[in-house]
Amino acid sequence: MASMSSGDESLRLCVFDLRRGQTEGQELDKILFFHPPELDVSTQLSVTGLSEGLITFTRLFSPEAACEVIEAERHSHVFFEAETDIWMVMVVEKNKDTGAIWRIDALRGMLKEVHSLFVMFHGSVRALLEKEPTGGLTRAQLYPFITDYLSTFQKRSRSEDWCCDLFVGKKLQLPNFRETTLSERGTVQMLTLARDTALEVQSLVQVLESCAGNLQCHSMILFQDLLVSTTLSPDDTTNLFTFAVMRLTSQALLSSDASSWSYLRKGTGSSETSSTSGSIDSQHHVIRPLQNDKWKKGKDGFLVTDVWGLETGGSPDSAIPIVWLQQRQERVYLLAYQYKSLTLLLLLPTTAVLNGGLSVSAVKHQVIEQASLRIMKIEEKISRGWGGENAYHVKGYRYLVVDTDLEVSRASPSGKVATLAKESLLALNKLREEVDLEKSRAKRQERDLEICIRAKNNAWVIARVSRDKELYMALEKASDTLLDATDAVGRFSNRYCSGAFLMD
Amino acid sequence: MSSRPSSSQTSVGSGALSHAYIQHPSLRCNVPESRGLFYDDANRLLICVTSSQVFSWETATFNPDVSPSVDSIPEGPILSIRCSLGKKVIAVQRSDCEIQFFHRETKQTLTHKCKAGSESILGFFWSDSPLCDLAVVKTSGMDLFACDSAMNLRLVETKKVNVNWYIYTHESRLVLLASGLQCKTITGFQLSTAGVVRLPKFEMTLATTESNSKPIISPGDVHLITVYGRIYCLQVDMEAMLLHTYRFYRDAVVQQGSLPIYSSKLSVSVVDNLLLVHQIDAKVVIIYDLFVDSRAPVSAPLPLLWRGYQGSDTSSQQENEGTESSTSSENIVMYEDAWTFLVPDLILDQTNKAISASSSDRSSLLEFLQRRKLEANKAKQLCLGIARTLILERRPATQVTQAIDVLVTAYSYSVKAGIYKELKNEKTTATTPTNDGASPDNERGRASGSSIDEEEEVEMNLPSGSADEQQESQLSSPAISPDELYKFVFASVEEAMVEESDYLVAIITEFLRSISAEKLKVDLNIYVMTVRLLAHSKRFAELSLFTTNKIIEPSKEVALQLLESGGQNLRVRKLGLDMLRQLSLHHEYISSLVQDGYYLEALRYAQKRKVTSVRSSLFLEAAFASNDMQHLAAILRVLSELIPGFKETSEYYTFHGLLNETSSSVAV
Repeated sequence: MASMSSGDESLRLCVFDLRRGQTEGQELDKILFFHPPELDVSTQLSVTGLSEGLITFTRLFSPEAACEVIEAERHSHVFFEAETDIWMVMVVEKNKDTGAIWRIDALRGMLKEVHSLFVMFHGSVRALLEKEPTGGLTRAQLYPFITDYLSTFQKRSRSEDWCCDLFVGKKLQLPNFRETTLSERGTVQMLTLARDTALEVQSLVQVLESCAGNLQCHSMILFQDLLVSTTLSPDDTTNLFTFAVMRLTSQALLSSDASSWSYLRKGTGSSETSSTSGSIDSQHHVIRPLQNDKWKKGKDGFLVTDVWGLETGGSPDSAIPIVWLQQRQERVYLLAYQYKSLTLLLLLPTTAVLNGGLSVSAVKHQVIEQASLRIMKIEEKISRGWGGENAYHVKGYRYLVVDTDLEVSRASPSGKVATLAKESLLALNKLREEVDLEKSRAKRQERDLEICIRAKNNAWVIARVSRDKELYMALEKASDTLLDATDAVGRFSNRYCSGAFLMD
Repeated sequence: MSSRPSSSQTSVGSGALSHAYIQHPSLRCNVPESRGLFYDDANRLLICVTSSQVFSWETATFNPDVSPSVDSIPEGPILSIRCSLGKKVIAVQRSDCEIQFFHRETKQTLTHKCKAGSESILGFFWSDSPLCDLAVVKTSGMDLFACDSAMNLRLVETKKVNVNWYIYTHESRLVLLASGLQCKTITGFQLSTAGVVRLPKFEMTLATTESNSKPIISPGDVHLITVYGRIYCLQVDMEAMLLHTYRFYRDAVVQQGSLPIYSSKLSVSVVDNLLLVHQIDAKVVIIYDLFVDSRAPVSAPLPLLWRGYQGSDTSSQQENEGTESSTSSENIVMYEDAWTFLVPDLILDQTNKAISASSSDRSSLLEFLQRRKLEANKAKQLCLGIARTLILERRPATQVTQAIDVLVTAYSYSVKAGIYKELKNEKTTATTPTNDGASPDNERGRASGSSIDEEEEVEMNLPSGSADEQQESQLSSPAISPDELYKFVFASVEEAMVEESDYLVAIITEFLRSISAEKLKVDLNIYVMTVRLLAHSKRFAELSLFTTNKIIEPSKEVALQLLESGGQNLRVRKLGLDMLRQLSLHHEYISSLVQDGYYLEALRYAQKRKVTSVRSSLFLEAAFASNDMQHLAAILRVLSELIPGFKETSEYYTFHGLLNETSSSVAV
């Protein structure tokens, strides 16, 4: 397996369709996406070929859930069946010295995330393939999409590790154990509101949704990178939340400004990605929703982008972003309004807009007229009550609580997690890996897990799984006994998780 | 109580649409040889005189069948007649220089004369000021007298002013003395229980035209009215066709704006703090609410109506019309020339329904209704009806919100002011508030406006005695508590609105926001209802937000509703379970867990919290049903530890036996 790593690239990511290229010589037709794109075709084929072989083989024993992961000496192969017979495989290099230590579920979480986002903007891959059987359109959309997604990690690492920017260069840095151990991809982070504020927010939601007249529309409100309110199903909420945090929130706009500035200064530019996609652009109408630096705040408070085209061309609504809501199975226009730290997303069904004779600009006008004052007030009220980035820090604890049902999580602030010793984090990372394994085994059974482990540095790492809620925790007070540790968890559970985790 | 105010309901009486009614039957005074009809506003007496007799009717408690009291006085001309405030003495102005006093019990008489030739008496009135008991207004000024029980008059003070004419109302305790060529210079005194207060002199506004460069104000052009505890003076300016309003403060008189006039003859009434302007030529009433700054009328002008009048009823005579002519029965002519209007009006009965039918802005209408005191219960019922109608008619949520805000604010205000009292005896099962029997809560005379005075301290206080003049009503305030709003508005429309639960939830949210802003509480059932509505429209995201943010306040009832609604959605059911746990409702929590098949978790919880109230057989049966003998064995062991003497129960034997039969390998 080690021979697989021929290039310098530490990451390979491919998307392929098992139903395509079944005849010999046509194998290349399977591949819908491959990263890095410059890798020679034979290597690409060998990666997909191996993956397909393993999938076929493991399906013999487990038709429902085929191969999930292969751990080789220097690489991990992570498998994810995004849609029936459409597989995403990620190959990452393992290196303890450089900190390239992964948790497989965290990596798979990325695959899930990029696929969900893709579906939100473009619909399912299978549908695209059926629409255009040559696969050209699918490839044309997938390529910039996944590249843009991956570039997030490139840029995120740039803005965070400002000083090592030069050394890292354009290399991708996937989030490693330091970032993934006490966080959960595919969940939203909520802002806790006081009751009166919550009522104000709910009232605003109603005003906002009434701006579209009698249309059944949806909305979502974020404060900084935290969710304040949503009327979408958990899945749609998670996808839109992820996108908003990546590209729309005040934070995202701020960091995109910062990074674009660094681009200018260093004079590198994103010429590579744009030129490659540019060549495909001519054949298909390619939309790159995840492209960075594409959203700006307009004068009226609405966020504008030219990703979906220019306002001048065609009908006035053609340039408005459109997303696909899974739960309601409908396409909706995405309007984003921002006031200071508050970002409001309004989703209008496209069919209703087209048939109802309602223009999006009229809705915008209504929002400004009826809601802008309330938005200001609520921003002010939330800002006043907001405890800052360490608002959810609990002294002495480094924790992650996940509600898998509601797709909500809360964790210690990253600045506080960074103070943990590497040993503690690694131990917890390992523990999480074990729990992931246990969870996938007991998929349909009553899950009730409780693990406390003393790490090498005498820290306690604790995992507690109760049906649909999970709690991970690192306690670095070395003097604590097991009893102290469980007591601490019990206190935490009662105080912050409404007693969801009972410890024996 | 009909929920929908409509114009058809206003057709009581002669069939015409109207806002204001004359109460029927009216008081009839058929006195032969009647020489004049007087109204004594201080005692609220209607007085009819013959050459030697005085008939007086109490009108404070209005009863058309009341019989008059009769007094005999010596013969002579009667220019005006007023009883003393104790009703012991009858005072009669005989001429412009003589007033006679008759003691009703001792039959003592006394004559008071002024300097003939140099001055003449314009009139007199009794006062309850500590300084004096009687005021006599003369062309040279006003004399204040003290009068003892033996009817000795002692001059206390003289206010020197040149007076052309004067007006006085006992309600305001205010006398206005007019002087000057045009009679537009006004000197005012308030003879209140706090003493005699002199008001700053002020000039009334009069427009001049070419034809009439020096118009003169006559006493009939000026009206003193009291609304919401504030004293206003209304002055007719015929040249400008305007009715000017002045408001009296302790140290200032401020002109407040003008109302248009549409008639060459005009009069005013006050009913329930509303100003009724009778445009006599046009035969319509226009109603104004001076509380709001807007000078727009509350409603469209409509004619006065005789309520309850039947054509066959003959010779009914209106009580407060100072005229002897009995109105013709077949053909009632409204606004006869002989009608005079007395302030405040006794007979006009405000019917709110008509106004609600003709007013389009619902929230200002509700504000208006919430200020009504006269028929608080009716106003309250109307408010509830309007709120219900607004919702049932699917009015825009913002409009309904506004309306609800008005009601909640009014309630909060009246609770703070101590006006509102909960009706303790109210039956919760009643579909409408049955306030007929709620007499213990009656409050007298709230309209004296103590609450208003509190917030505007510069304002001239009304004499306390005016409280007696206010009509009693069964409810002291039309304020509606949040619980009543829930019961009579939200709960009652739930069934009709179930298909539009989104809309109803939006309104309930605004309602909750409103009461939370006023720091009020509401019946827990509204939360149960909210859960039901949200679950019905499958808005689970919001349901979860509502619950986690405690917009829906946690309670056992809410938790159970969540569990029930969670039949369609596991996430919702979980919210209910979480709530039970948070509320430490251990028994319900454990039972629900077992019911969902999480019997091990339930038992763990029971063990941890030492809960023994849940039937042990629940766990055992659940485990047995799942056919997991290992679990069954574990449960038996845990239960033996948890419940003392469990091993002696038949249950233990049954399941222990079952266990042994099925698998002997598992040790218990």
